[in-house]
Amino acid sequence: MSTSLTSRSPQSTTPRAGRSGGLPSVYAKLIMAATGATFAIFVLVHMIGNLKIYQGAEAFNSYAHWLRVAFYPVLPYEGLLWIMRVVLLACLIAHVYCALLLRRRGATARGRWKRRGLGLDVFAARTMMVSGVVLLLFIIFHILDLTLGVPPAGPEAFEHATHETSYAYSNLVASFSRWPVAAFYIIAMLCLALHLAHGVVSAVVDFGVGVRPRVFSALAGLGLLFGLAVAIGNITIPVAVLTGVLQ
Amino acid sequence: MQLTIEVWRQENAEAEGRFVTYQVDDATPEMSLPELLDRLNDQLVEAGDEPIAFDTDCREGICGTCGITVNDVPHGKVPNTPTCRQHLRSYDDGDHLKLEPFRAASFPVVRDLVVDRTALDKVIASGGYVSVDAGTAPDADTRQIPFKVAETALDFSGCIGCGACIAACPNGAAHLFSGALLSHMSTLPQGKPERAKRARSVVATTEEEFGPCSVYAECVEVCPAGIPISAISAVNREAARTAIRRTKDD
Repeated sequence: MSTSLTSRSPQSTTPRAGRSGGLPSVYAKLIMAATGATFAIFVLVHMIGNLKIYQGAEAFNSYAHWLRVAFYPVLPYEGLLWIMRVVLLACLIAHVYCALLLRRRGATARGRWKRRGLGLDVFAARTMMVSGVVLLLFIIFHILDLTLGVPPAGPEAFEHATHETSYAYSNLVASFSRWPVAAFYIIAMLCLALHLAHGVVSAVVDFGVGVRPRVFSALAGLGLLFGLAVAIGNITIPVAVLTGVLQ
Repeated sequence: MQLTIEVWRQENAEAEGRFVTYQVDDATPEMSLPELLDRLNDQLVEAGDEPIAFDTDCREGICGTCGITVNDVPHGKVPNTPTCRQHLRSYDDGDHLKLEPFRAASFPVVRDLVVDRTALDKVIASGGYVSVDAGTAPDADTRQIPFKVAETALDFSGCIGCGACIAACPNGAAHLFSGALLSHMSTLPQGKPERAKRARSVVATTEEEFGPCSVYAECVEVCPAGIPISAISAVNREAARTAIRRTKDD
């Protein structure tokens, strides 16, 4: 009778809880960080551009018009806009794909017993999927509303931009005069603040920056501050429309 | 002290587990959690019941063997303290304690509160070492390491491998554990010659065995070795560095 030695090497025992093939999670996280950082810069610039509305209809419309003719004739008409659209769409697809992939892997690795008793300090981190979905729905609505002007998303009085001029100001005021649209915008901006609050921290760590504990706390504060700055800057606009400051 | 203790009982890896509630009437504030379980087991044995299986060894916070989830928090309510250094003085008379094993798909339950943490050994086996030629020990001063560098490496090498970081993580990720390993190895000159090779294999094993990191930072709140949060970024950093260097080693 032969006896076989049972191997006690760490290779043999437990089933694997991690990924089996596919895009490595570290690369997925790097992609999320890079695309997320692109969005963060975009929303900041977008918000600053939006604030031009307080300089009056003429200044805002000429800014909207400039976006279409920027760098002409080096770029064709709407060239800059289309470059931005293509880049942002590619980022969006990559960001959402990686988010779903990592979400599934995280749930598998955690297993049947979910972590409970988490505090409010991780509220933003836990709700990334919720705030992300709200933002995705908002982006679709926002494009239908103020870019394409398709009713019922867009306002009745929507006027398309021409090669000579833009009607961004009147379109915006007409859109936000509808209170449900303004309310959805405000909710979406609060979700954006929440998403950025965790997103900024996550992106920095995912880029491999070794932050010490104190710097980490400061970074979390900075993320929230950045998110709130973008959100509040934008939120003032529907509030100004509804209160009659912008007409 | 009188305590109501709800304990996870599970016959073996295949059995369906369940919570069973016990009463301990003669607990004292000086007791540690393993001592409380000892007391409860005495009670169970006297009554002719099967004692609760749990992992424990040094009981002084250095070995990383003990580790249970107490009221949903790995190790217990005192932050950065292993189960064996958690005492009943943090609880009040009449409190309710829910004791369950470390929860993660990577840690299957062996019995009651004992889990199989082989997944952590796999990460260590994949790169938690320095390849050296066996022989006489080198002279102590042949490699000069600045004090601060040595201290940084020691901070990361403090990991006792208890697995609380994984149990605390909503994603079941082991980035604090693997990052601590990669960080201290890449800080010291002894670890540098194999840096890329090690990163490649440690990151691959970490991904096979555990989940992805979402920077919840729950791990650093429970880690009994106080591994700093900067460890988790080392996983991405070392992986990215290796990817850029492609097949080049060091």
